[in-house]
Amino acid sequence: MTVEPTNSFKLVNPYQESYGVNATNTQPTITAKLTPSSQNVSFNNMLSQFIGEVNAQQVRAQQIVQAVLTGENIPLHHAVIAVEEASIAFQLMVEIRNKLLDSYHELMRLQI
Amino acid sequence: MLEFIPGVRFSASALEAERVRMEVISQNIANAYTTRGPDGQPYKRQLVVFESVLQGKLRRINESQPAEVRVARIATDPRPFRYVYQPGHPDADPAGFVSYPNVNLYEEMADLIAASRAFEANLAVIKVAKNMALQTLSINRR
Repeated sequence: MTVEPTNSFKLVNPYQESYGVNATNTQPTITAKLTPSSQNVSFNNMLSQFIGEVNAQQVRAQQIVQAVLTGENIPLHHAVIAVEEASIAFQLMVEIRNKLLDSYHELMRLQI
Repeated sequence: MLEFIPGVRFSASALEAERVRMEVISQNIANAYTTRGPDGQPYKRQLVVFESVLQGKLRRINESQPAEVRVARIATDPRPFRYVYQPGHPDADPAGFVSYPNVNLYEEMADLIAASRAFEANLAVIKVAKNMALQTLSINRR
């Protein structure tokens, strides 16, 4: 089972042709599709893909904030929400790291 | 890994819709006494129409699907203009009456308050959902 992050994000442009009519995809999305496959995927691969996706979210948040600060026509709440999501993804990664370290210490404590 | 904050997409769409509503209200109030626009007519009051956009490909008839909100269109108010007797006005018709826009400032203020409360309600939803996600992460912490 592979987890492939599809970084299909584009900077928001909520004003399409007429004033105020939303685009159907005003919120940039990062989706991860779980596709079943026959080969075995190691935990190492899953972890590195997850870290790549967290990084992509951080990059996206920084891009959106920069676009807002340079005066592009992006609503403020998109920037705030992107930053919050990136922060929560990062904290999740830190928690996973803590759990991995705990399990490593547990293994090291096993007496032969 | 779609969204860490549950339901933030719907709240974000509502924030955008309410923001558009606020802009339309501010446009109405700013043009409340505009007697001549680019087409020569007085300003017509505008209002927003919201609609929900269904998510997902399956649309079973008797089941509700999660829906985002969207501004469908910005419609004009069909009510007639206000006629005010002002014979000295440059835009007065031969009888001396000037057509002012059909903008009622009290209605606009009520709409303003409603839009701001709706915006704050959606903000509260996002804050609560974010706290839920953060507390989920605290399961691992001692």
